[in-house]
Amino acid sequence: MNAEILVYPFLFVTIFFEAFVLVTFLSAPARGARARQAARVEDPALPTVAIIVPCLNEGETVAATTNSLLALEYPKDKLEIILVDNGSTDDTPTIMARYAGNGQVTILREEIRGKHNAVNTGIASTSADLIGCLDADSFVEPDALLEVIPSFRDESVGATTAAMSVHRPGNLLQHMQNAEYIFGITLRHVLSSVNGIYVTPGPFSLYRRKVVLALGGFREGHKTEDLEMALRLQKAGYWIENAPRARVYTKAPRTVPALLKQRTRWTTGFMRNVSNEYRGLVGNRRYGALGMIVLPIGFLAIASGILLFIVAIFQVVRHALVAYQLRSGIPLAYAWLPHSGTFDWFYLPSSLYILLGITTVAGSLTMITVGKRLSKTPGNLIYGLFAYLFLYGLLAPLWLMRATTDVALGKKRLWR
Amino acid sequence: MSLVGRNALIALLITIALVATVVYAISYLNRQRVAALSAIEDQLSIDTLSLDTEFSLLEAAPCDQSADGIGLTRELSDLGDRLSYAEEQLGSDNAQVIRLKQQYSLLEIRDYLITKKIATACGTKPVTVLYFYSNNGDCADCDKAGYALSYFRSTYPTLRVYSFDYHLSLGALQTLIDVTKVKGDRLPAFIINGTTSYGFTSLADLEKKFPKGALPAVTATSTRP
Repeated sequence: MNAEILVYPFLFVTIFFEAFVLVTFLSAPARGARARQAARVEDPALPTVAIIVPCLNEGETVAATTNSLLALEYPKDKLEIILVDNGSTDDTPTIMARYAGNGQVTILREEIRGKHNAVNTGIASTSADLIGCLDADSFVEPDALLEVIPSFRDESVGATTAAMSVHRPGNLLQHMQNAEYIFGITLRHVLSSVNGIYVTPGPFSLYRRKVVLALGGFREGHKTEDLEMALRLQKAGYWIENAPRARVYTKAPRTVPALLKQRTRWTTGFMRNVSNEYRGLVGNRRYGALGMIVLPIGFLAIASGILLFIVAIFQVVRHALVAYQLRSGIPLAYAWLPHSGTFDWFYLPSSLYILLGITTVAGSLTMITVGKRLSKTPGNLIYGLFAYLFLYGLLAPLWLMRATTDVALGKKRLWR
Repeated sequence: MSLVGRNALIALLITIALVATVVYAISYLNRQRVAALSAIEDQLSIDTLSLDTEFSLLEAAPCDQSADGIGLTRELSDLGDRLSYAEEQLGSDNAQVIRLKQQYSLLEIRDYLITKKIATACGTKPVTVLYFYSNNGDCADCDKAGYALSYFRSTYPTLRVYSFDYHLSLGALQTLIDVTKVKGDRLPAFIINGTTSYGFTSLADLEKKFPKGALPAVTATSTRP
């Protein structure tokens, strides 16, 4: 059997999902969300907000994170910053202590390790209307909070996500992640308009405090407490919104091993949460886009990522072997160099497999470009698009395979 | 219908339309390829007939003309490459591909015969290779042999290679096989200037079968014909 045949159903579903994103992007709710104006800092009706920064050995970045929060355009008497040390062994507590005299900042310590414990400690110490989380390796734009606030006007909204991108991408790997994060901006914006968001990421997601308390606070959630909380909000019938112009920048792994570790945790978290505690959401019409499209396609994406990779490797090796055998003994100059520099339409590739693949890649690149425009994220995306195009397909299957193996074998890994 | 349901339905229709468009585009491109091949074959057919007629008209002094048919052989070679690519795309059992291969084989046989006539009349010594292959999966070395001949064609521009699918249903080809007594169970087969050999071992072994000093090599800047 031709291995390519296995790929067609996945390519079809990928194109379907991209088309769904496009159609939903053009629908009235998404257009309405894009037209939503940021709140005004002088508005007396602004809610009180507490931003919790859980820290575990974040000495290098916690000061910059805190400073970016203190620079938020928001009435000082309505914005509280809660730094929670979660048992750091580096200089995090010392750096936190520098903010002890600041009236906006509260410093806490939670000895029991676990991000969810740190966040719950922060929640317990405040009476703010809204609580936000910001990982201690992330930084917000000054107007980010004002961009988020209007999405809470509807009482059914339990949480809102922001527009994440990578903070000062340095190497190609970080540029790749930046493109991927910006892809996520479009995706979250679109999915929020049909309540299809399944994760409220650590960098600057805001929650209605009373809702979080009613749901019992944060849980360990298979080391993805943000994903677990989002699914719990969905299950309880709350809406998860998105503020596409609330820009937040996060540090991204610089090395492949670090990236694999992070993504394996994310992927296993998704698989474990969705296939266990939240299995009832999958394929359930009550949960609309989330249950019928997003979660099933999430699983399919993991399977297709692995399958496409295996098929691609198989095909490349097979073709390379055939090419090598064919050229064996033929002088290199003839065998491996192109014979003609002129374009000839006759030899244009016209395989269904290749053309559908190109279509899906074009869809992804379009979503990245739209995400950048939508969020007005600064910086050059050329490197990101290049890296995403050539690196992502090679790296993603590695963490997908590792995560799938971990879930199948019941293996647990450390956070870091 | 809910917004999600409506959007999913529209997305499904878009997906089907997109896939159908891609399938149609591929089919259109393949049809264009066949049409292009057909046009080249028509032109070559005219050129072959013209050369043949020219040769007959100048029977008294055929060698006065500079036309040696080498240009035609090169065009045939290019047509062969294109036909081979079209066969890959459309499949070797495609009716149009089979028809084009039949026409191509006929053109090759005619070119081969003219080459022989010119050689006899003018005393030239062209090196001709009749190469018989099979696409039926019963010839493990045919791909390698075909590639090696492409290399030789590129290295020696005056080399005339005529490739034939041994199992192609064509009366003239069957007659050629009968006349040359090529055996179908030992492919690949080569008839180099009338001498038959079977099997492909290496480039060097095949090259040894060419008449010594009869093939001037191409200059370094030349490309594949």
